[in-house]
Amino acid sequence: MTDELENQLRRALRPVEAPEGFTERLMSRLPVAPAALYTSAPVVVALPVPARRKPRNFALPAALAASLVAAVMLGQHMAYEIETGRQQRELAEGRAASRELMEALRVTSQKLDMAYQAVNSPSRPAAPGEEENPS
Amino acid sequence: MNPAPSMPDSLLTQARAGDTDAFAALVRAHQGSVFSIGLRMLNRRDAAEDLAQDVFLQLYRRLADIESQEHLGFWLRRVASNLAIDWLRRLPYTSTQPLDDDMQVASPENPQDPLMDRELARLMNELSPPARAVMLLRYQEDRDLAEIGATLDMPVNTVKSHIKRSLTALRARMIGARLVDCEPRE
Repeated sequence: MTDELENQLRRALRPVEAPEGFTERLMSRLPVAPAALYTSAPVVVALPVPARRKPRNFALPAALAASLVAAVMLGQHMAYEIETGRQQRELAEGRAASRELMEALRVTSQKLDMAYQAVNSPSRPAAPGEEENPS
Repeated sequence: MNPAPSMPDSLLTQARAGDTDAFAALVRAHQGSVFSIGLRMLNRRDAAEDLAQDVFLQLYRRLADIESQEHLGFWLRRVASNLAIDWLRRLPYTSTQPLDDDMQVASPENPQDPLMDRELARLMNELSPPARAVMLLRYQEDRDLAEIGATLDMPVNTVKSHIKRSLTALRARMIGARLVDCEPRE
C-alpha cells in the first residue's frame, strides 16, 4: 500500500503551471540595472562633484602631536633617571653606614679583649684591698 | 518535475552577462516548480506567486553565484522551500483553505482518480511545514533523500523520519476519510 500511496502522491503533487503572465510581471519588477551589475562588469556612476575646498594642512597638528609625544617620553625618561640615582645614593649610604658600624664593632671588640687579658693576667700586682680566694 | 534538465549552461552565462531574454527563459523553465512549491506550502495562489516572484528576484541578484543548471535547480528549490517555511512561521496563512479547483497541472498525464488526488493534496496541508516541504521535494520534485537533506539543512535520517511519519499520517487520514478501505500491508 505504501508504494500505491507514493504513486498517488506523485500524481497528486504534479507541478502546476504558474499563473498567466507570471514571467512578464517578474520581468517588469527587475531592477533597472542589468544583472551584470551584480556580477563583475564595473559601472561608472557620475556623482556630483562637491565644491572644491581649501586643502587642510595636517602638518601643524602632526608636529604638535609629535612634540607632545616626545615631551611625555622625555619626562618619563628623566623621572626614571632621578629615581634610579636616588636609589643608588641610598644604597651607597647604607653600605657606608654598614662599614662604619662593622669597624666600630671591631674596635670595641679589640678593646674588650685587651681589658679582659689585662684583668686575668697572673703577673698583675694585686690591687689594694683585693683578697685572695681562700679556697 | 525536473525542470529543463537539458537547458544549456550558455543560457545561464548569457543571463549573468545581463541578457534579460536569457533570464526570462530561465524563469519560464523553472517557474512551474517554484510556484508549485509555494502553492502547496502556503496554500494560496496569490501568496505562492508573491513567493515565486521573490525567489526569482533573489536569483537575479545572485546569478553570479550560480554555477550550472543543476546548481540553479537546487538553489531555487532551496530558497523557495525555506522561504515558504519562513513565511508560514511569520504570516497568518491558514492551512485549511482548499487549493483552487482550476489548478492547471503541468504534466497532464491521465490521473486515475482526480478526487483522490485533490484530497491527498488537501491532506498534505495538515502536515507541519518542514514535513510538507520534505514531502514536496520527494514526491513533487522527485529528489533523493540526500538532496532533500541538503536543501532543507536537515540530516538524512530526519528526512527519512519525516517521510515515514507523513506517509503513515496520510494513510490514516485517507482511511478515516474512507478514501481507502484497507489496513496497510507491510
